[in-house]
Amino acid sequence: MGAESREVNILRGIDLQVARGEAVGIVGPSGSGKTSMLMVIAGLERATSGQVAVAGTSLDGLSEDQLALFRRQHVGIVFQAFHLIPTMTALENVAIPLELAGHDDAFARAERELDAVGLSHRLGHYPGQLSGGEQQRTALARAFAIEPDILLADEPTGNLDGETGQQIVDLMFRLRNERGATLMLITHDPKLAAKCDRTLTLADGRIVSEKLQAVA
Amino acid sequence: MSSLPVALRIALRELRAGIRGFRIFIACLALGVAAIAAVGALSASVVESLERDGQAILGGDAEFRLLHREAADGQVEAMQAAGQISFSRQMRGMVRLENVPDQGTLVEVKAVDNAYPLYGAITLNQNISLTDALAPRDGIYGALVDPNLLTRLTAEVGDKVRLGDALLEIRGTIAREPDRVTSVFTLGPRLMIHGDALETTGLIQPGSLVRNYYRVRLNDGVDRGLWLDGMRDDFTDAGWRIRTTEDAAPRVTRFVDRLGLFLTLVGLTILLVGGIGVSNAVRSHLESRIGSIAVLKCVGATSSVIFRAYLIQVMLIALLGTAIGLLLGAFSPLLFARALEAALPTDIPFGFHLLPMVQATAFGLLTALVFALWPLGRVGVIPGAALFRNLVAPTAGRPRGGVLITLAIAATALVALAVLGASRPGFAIAFVIGSVAAMMAFRYCALGVMKLAARVNPGRDAGLRLALANMHRPGAATPAVIMSLGLGLAVLVAIGQIEGNLRQQVDQELPNEAPAFFFIDIQRDQIDGFEAAVRKVEGAGEIERTATLRGMIVGVNGRPASEIAADPDQAWVLQGDRSITYAARPAPDANIVAGEWWDADYRGEPLVSFEADAAKGIGLNVGDQITVNILGRKITAKVANLRDVDWGTLRLNFVMVFSPGVLDGAPYTYIATAKATPAAEDGIERAVISEYPNISAIRIRDALDLVKVMLGNIALAVRSTAGLTLLAGALVLAGAVAAGHRRRIYDAVVLKVLGATRGDILRAFLIEYGLLGLAAGLIAIGVGSLTGWAVMTQVMNTGFTFQPLLALLTALLCIAVTLAFGFGGAWNALGKKAAPLLRNE
Repeated sequence: MGAESREVNILRGIDLQVARGEAVGIVGPSGSGKTSMLMVIAGLERATSGQVAVAGTSLDGLSEDQLALFRRQHVGIVFQAFHLIPTMTALENVAIPLELAGHDDAFARAERELDAVGLSHRLGHYPGQLSGGEQQRTALARAFAIEPDILLADEPTGNLDGETGQQIVDLMFRLRNERGATLMLITHDPKLAAKCDRTLTLADGRIVSEKLQAVA
Repeated sequence: MSSLPVALRIALRELRAGIRGFRIFIACLALGVAAIAAVGALSASVVESLERDGQAILGGDAEFRLLHREAADGQVEAMQAAGQISFSRQMRGMVRLENVPDQGTLVEVKAVDNAYPLYGAITLNQNISLTDALAPRDGIYGALVDPNLLTRLTAEVGDKVRLGDALLEIRGTIAREPDRVTSVFTLGPRLMIHGDALETTGLIQPGSLVRNYYRVRLNDGVDRGLWLDGMRDDFTDAGWRIRTTEDAAPRVTRFVDRLGLFLTLVGLTILLVGGIGVSNAVRSHLESRIGSIAVLKCVGATSSVIFRAYLIQVMLIALLGTAIGLLLGAFSPLLFARALEAALPTDIPFGFHLLPMVQATAFGLLTALVFALWPLGRVGVIPGAALFRNLVAPTAGRPRGGVLITLAIAATALVALAVLGASRPGFAIAFVIGSVAAMMAFRYCALGVMKLAARVNPGRDAGLRLALANMHRPGAATPAVIMSLGLGLAVLVAIGQIEGNLRQQVDQELPNEAPAFFFIDIQRDQIDGFEAAVRKVEGAGEIERTATLRGMIVGVNGRPASEIAADPDQAWVLQGDRSITYAARPAPDANIVAGEWWDADYRGEPLVSFEADAAKGIGLNVGDQITVNILGRKITAKVANLRDVDWGTLRLNFVMVFSPGVLDGAPYTYIATAKATPAAEDGIERAVISEYPNISAIRIRDALDLVKVMLGNIALAVRSTAGLTLLAGALVLAGAVAAGHRRRIYDAVVLKVLGATRGDILRAFLIEYGLLGLAAGLIAIGVGSLTGWAVMTQVMNTGFTFQPLLALLTALLCIAVTLAFGFGGAWNALGKKAAPLLRNE
């Protein structure tokens, strides 16, 4: 995979298969290609060579809009910086992917999702009126709203204090278990990575080690 | 489910962030729309009031005008059968105080009958009836005058004056004459007398330039159209000009129309300049929404949903700006109508006019659309991946095909609206081409300036290095500043250059070459005596004289003149009566561009020499036939040659010069010009007036003073509107400065951390804005002067001299404005504390 102006190979020779429902933790130093790998899986960046297939869909050769439709159906994303839309209420933020997918009951479903993350009392609040933890819970509700096949999380606790981060992690794993979504989680925290079925370590664009957890 | 409702919902949610970033956008649109709506509303009001007062302005339901002669008995009887007639006559004359017989003042004489006025009423400043004011008292007829005449004559009501051979008593002054269409250019004040009084003046002589008006108030039940058709059929050779209430004030209508077109184009320029502000505002808005757009992409929004959402948002805001503009524009007639009424024959009512409002709305929305589409089209380029990285680089790249097609359609619609809505589409097309060319010129010049800034070696000067870097870095304000301010300034430069040239021509060129006097209505038996009288005065120079009478072109190659589709610039040739003359030889300075002059002793079939531009305008070539009605007689002549005439010399020039013999039997009079030293002018006028009271003397100096005043008034109006263009430019500039403000604060903070003093930073910012202003000013001078040159040489067919002082002032103004904005921005940036910003970053 190359960056725009000069071709720099960020990911090299990644050969990875993730089973449906599996949780994969990704660790590695800054610049090792963790985020790039996640973007390629989300269809937000394209691999310059090789093949990518997610949830039974080959992403090779899909147009920008086809990739958007793919994300709409299959992918939920959670970011370190939450990335809620500031002009929309919590409810609207959760409803937006459903609205885009054309669900008539977008708001009812969004309300259920917010209820599931314990925010039924915060529906009409704007991101600016929510705490960091509440924002990330809203983001989780948004990610799960479309019943994704795969959840991509990029350091979801990075901007939160320890206790709140722990609550988010518990919530995220609980929801994933309930929905049976595949999880790919980037983290710097080895303990968090250890909660996954498998941990990949990236360095210099390659998977340098792979460790299977003994599932509890 | 269509994606539009989702897009609409997203747009409405996005609007919750408020319209702070769109203030310049709204102001730019509102200003342009207000200008266009105001012009439209005002001209609609004027046209409406002209229509409403058509009968009073015309003085009847229909008007028949004959030159030199009166209508035949049969013709008058036919008019009387249909209704009531009022007969009035107008001509120029010299009026003198009874006790100062050799000092005259040129007046516009109007002689009326007892039926006058058929519609409306004349208002006098004295408590006296019109009949009493004009009736003879002790054998002396009364006269009503324009108050100006009293000032000119240093006379008062009750004084006696002479007009030709007649003695008249001034019985009052006229406050308002219902049928007087104040022309922008009248040489003398009004003197109104009774028709019987005119007969006693001796001014009515064969060939005198008198205009006879028969106004008819039709009886109930007479269908005007049918009746006029009948009159035209019954008196095919009458040679009269018929006017109805619909075209009661054609000159005013034309003037309003032209001024309206011009001001609409100025309004459009404001919108174009504002459009750059729109574009900048949309771009910086989208840059501030990169996060939201990326989130939408991550959760599955397609580019087209996002594009539509932001398009809807931008157009809703455009609707707000347009609405504000409409409101301002609709009420502006309240402000300007009073000022216009002084120059119009009617008062202007305040009313709502739908069409100009619709037109202004369309202009506003289409401009917003055209200028917003390009930056909007690039939302597709903003990657969802932006959320994973700190993506701050401005979005670049070309919008996709669909957006480009929409852009092309919107731009075409805008051009079509400008061109089809204009009374002179050719003019509008030239404007469109010119403004597109100007915008491209500014764009490329801006890119050139950026390239240059990148190349210049600033040496060891850190301030200069920073300034130059700011001018050419990606996302620099350079194109925005140069285009917005430059375009506004270019309009100002162009108008300044045109006005300066016109003023220069009036001020400087004429007095050296131009005659001091025009004399009209010189009878054939007076011409030699007249010449001798003028020559006797010390300081009198060359006298040029020529036989003349008036005639109207009624046919071209056998087709009626009314059916000829003439170039609007030259249509005047066919519309009224023209002075004509005959000559055996061409004038010494004649420039024959086609065909040949006739032999000096030619006596064959009638030939005519035609002025080249006028001939081209009505599609006339050498060998064609024209038919001219002269005193009821139709003369058909073959076009022998075409002449270029420089009207600017004020010599005796004619559109049509006939071959000898054609006018021999006609009762022509002479007109003459005389050159004179300024000191000799009074003497010449005295000599002529005391001996020949029927000859009217027109002082060129007075006429030129009038032209200067007129030019001054028009220039003021034009400059004020051009000033609005500059205001729009300044708004856009303010927007551009504001858009770069965050980056500027950040730069200032980082520079302070690195040890730069406030002075260092301020200096760098000022150098940057000074250079930008200089560049914008220089380009504006180039583009504006080129426009001025094109208008002077191509539209007005006259010379052009570059006015360096004006150009210099413009450049200085430009630098001052940019420096002021740059300084304001920099000062604010310098005030920010470093610590909190660095922590946040």
